[in-house]
Amino acid sequence: MIKRWWSFPKTNVERTAIVLGCLILLLALVGAFLVPFDPMKIDFRAKLQAPSLVHWLGTDGSGRDVLSRLLYGAQLTLASTFAVIIVVVTIGCTIGIASAFIGGAVDNMLMRLADIWLGFPPLILALGFASALGASLEAAIWALIFSWWPNYARLSRMVTSDILSQKFIASADALGVPTHRKVLHYVIPNAMDVMLIQIALDISAVMLAISGLSFIGVGAQIPAPEWGAMIADGRSYVSNGWWIVLAPGLAIFITAVSFNVIGDMLRRELDPTSRRR
Amino acid sequence: MAGVDIPMVELRGVAKSFARRLFVQNRSFALRDINIAIGRGEVVGILGESGSGKSTVANIITCLTGYDGGTYRFKGRDIAAYTRKERFAFKSDVQIVFQDPYGSLNPRATVRGSVMESLLLHRRDLGRAQRIERANALLEEVGLSADAGERYPHEFSGGQRQRIAIARAIAVEPELLVLDEPLSSLDVSIQAQILELFVRMIRERGLTIVFISHDVNVVRLLCDRVYVMNQGAVVEEGFARDVLSHPQNEYTARLLDAVY
Amino acid sequence: MASLAPTNADDRPLLEIRDVSVALRNGNRTMVAGVSLSVRPREVFGIVGESGSGKTLLTRTLLGLQDDAYVAGGSVRFNGQSLPIDGYGTQARKLLGHSIGFVPQDPFASLNPSMRIGKQITEAIYLAKGWPMGAERTRDAAISLMAEVGIPEPALAFNQFPDQFSGGMRQRMVFAIALAQDPKLLVADEPTTALDAITQRRVIELILDRSRKHDLAVILISHNLELLRQSVGRIAVLYGGQLLNIVASSDIGHRMVHPYTEALFDCIPTREKTLADIRSIPGEPVGAGFGLRGCAFASRCPYVVTACTTADLPRNSAMAPSFSACILGRGAS
Repeated sequence: MIKRWWSFPKTNVERTAIVLGCLILLLALVGAFLVPFDPMKIDFRAKLQAPSLVHWLGTDGSGRDVLSRLLYGAQLTLASTFAVIIVVVTIGCTIGIASAFIGGAVDNMLMRLADIWLGFPPLILALGFASALGASLEAAIWALIFSWWPNYARLSRMVTSDILSQKFIASADALGVPTHRKVLHYVIPNAMDVMLIQIALDISAVMLAISGLSFIGVGAQIPAPEWGAMIADGRSYVSNGWWIVLAPGLAIFITAVSFNVIGDMLRRELDPTSRRR
Repeated sequence: MAGVDIPMVELRGVAKSFARRLFVQNRSFALRDINIAIGRGEVVGILGESGSGKSTVANIITCLTGYDGGTYRFKGRDIAAYTRKERFAFKSDVQIVFQDPYGSLNPRATVRGSVMESLLLHRRDLGRAQRIERANALLEEVGLSADAGERYPHEFSGGQRQRIAIARAIAVEPELLVLDEPLSSLDVSIQAQILELFVRMIRERGLTIVFISHDVNVVRLLCDRVYVMNQGAVVEEGFARDVLSHPQNEYTARLLDAVY
Repeated sequence: MASLAPTNADDRPLLEIRDVSVALRNGNRTMVAGVSLSVRPREVFGIVGESGSGKTLLTRTLLGLQDDAYVAGGSVRFNGQSLPIDGYGTQARKLLGHSIGFVPQDPFASLNPSMRIGKQITEAIYLAKGWPMGAERTRDAAISLMAEVGIPEPALAFNQFPDQFSGGMRQRMVFAIALAQDPKLLVADEPTTALDAITQRRVIELILDRSRKHDLAVILISHNLELLRQSVGRIAVLYGGQLLNIVASSDIGHRMVHPYTEALFDCIPTREKTLADIRSIPGEPVGAGFGLRGCAFASRCPYVVTACTTADLPRNSAMAPSFSACILGRGAS
């Protein structure tokens, strides 16, 4: 199994993306213990200092250490991203798989509901949530969960009904395999590849959405070291403190590109339609 | 007690129509008034071209699909009256092997896992060690080596996969085995191997066999009796050696003339 | 060119392939090695092999239709004209335009679904003969061609689309397109595999009938030895990318033939056989690409001796009409 995974990356770009992706995840896990300064501590005497040996990435308009904020932010941003992904995958796949199993009118209704749902732009939904709950990172997370699940419902329904039409499911029926066992042993293992691809691609999409919402002010609020919020905070200092915007901007860029490359690689390696027979 | 006269499978006036859907053309015919009786220990062929409805009959006999009219009695009891428990027990009495050896095994389960699945569901009395032992014995019986069990279906050739599917089907010790075009997608030299395996199994296990096929020559070799189907109806039935040498029905005669 | 026409055309082979090898472009692996055979004018010739034997690869490459493979060695002559091995595909495709007709396996994929039948056939006539007769007479030619291949009410079918017809009818249309060019040789690759038995028999008989009436040579490729045995004169047997046997079909089951041909015939059920007559071949078929060192069938052959795996495979370089590649000489005339 491990050998199989090692054979996936085919170019140096992909190898780099994997290393960076792992590094980012690692920093998000342990970065909070490595921070040289309190990311929230305001020190106006030290404000707008250029990168130096003390403040590796400089300080922002309120004198907070950018590197410390970036490391804390990694945790905040990625934790929010994964929270969204986990909830969305769970809800979406449950609805999708159930829909495919039940079939008929229920299936039709659930899928039309998902279609209608997809019609709402997440940004508008988030704005709605922000005005209802008050602008906060939680509101942004809820808004994304709310608007993202239909993608997984539709995908998992499609994959499941494809699997259900195969002969090994008929063989299982001839044996009398109960439904729960069919889901756990037949459907999920065979749907895993396709779902993994989508998840890897969605990590960067969700992260960009959270940062974007924070940037326009309906997500994380400004003292919080969320990457999008940090850019929003730093944009008024672009002329005399370019590093404040550049650091979180690069962090978002690198993370998004890394996970996108990983997702594309998984798609190439795992997608049953793009290989074999 | 069930007498010897009660057929194992008895389809009486079974009919099935396919729901017509907008823009979807269903190429297989609906079934009309199917009467089939299969006694214990018989090897019965159902012969027909693609679209004749023979595979639908296979699915009805194995309860994989329903029917709209008529009755299906299995060992004298109407399956429409089955309780949940009987329905589950039926699954260990009747098993099916499909045509496509590529699609009929779970690609994410090991070969032994696939065979053990049958035992896990229907032989609750067996412990894990016994199940493994029995699965290995079954794989050996169908002619696979001992190390085959650890591997996954895609590592096997079509003929070997068909052997695995057969091992999976006989694991529950069914009384009736339905073979739905089990040779059609195999190479000629492999077809003969699998045919020999069937012959051996019929002899050693005393199975009742429903052999669904379009191949007149194979049906002639293997089957005691034959039903010839065309366009969703049985057009001729009788002993294979009679029907396939002196057909009474015009369609059967044309089919026999055409076969090489 | 007419002055060069041979006086004794009957004796000259129409197609002559000598020691032909086919390799894949990707990796240069030789898949089919050292095949020599000839097809005479008006002859109906069969090629039999299990899946992966290289029969389809060999023919498609010889016709210039296989993009991922090339003729790696040997020589090919068609109708007295030698084809260059360099740039072979382009030359072969030119022949495919007018001297060779091709009927592929899948009647559903080989017609343009959005073009009327008549248009597809008249286009083939136009491509082969130019536009010598004007639209009206080309149309009549197409309709009579459709009638010849047994399409009922051809004038009506002329204006219909392929999806309005069954597989058998579509295969007739593909056949009509192949014949529109009035070829000397028709190559049919498993033309009836997708069809049911009754239609299969009709299509094969149509091909044989056409061959008799119009001096058409036919190469019929099939996995079905019994079909070929009853339909063609000589059969070439391919296995593992090797040519193992060229045999008169009447000899199979009656005289000693190559052990593989014998084993293949022994494992197919026919009208006459009983269960006791069926003997399977142990093991799995070897895929194409075996090369010429040793016999590809050695691992499954009942007569095998050590030499079978070490000796070079005999080749039909003398272009004999019948040939056995058995190292032990079994089935050699």
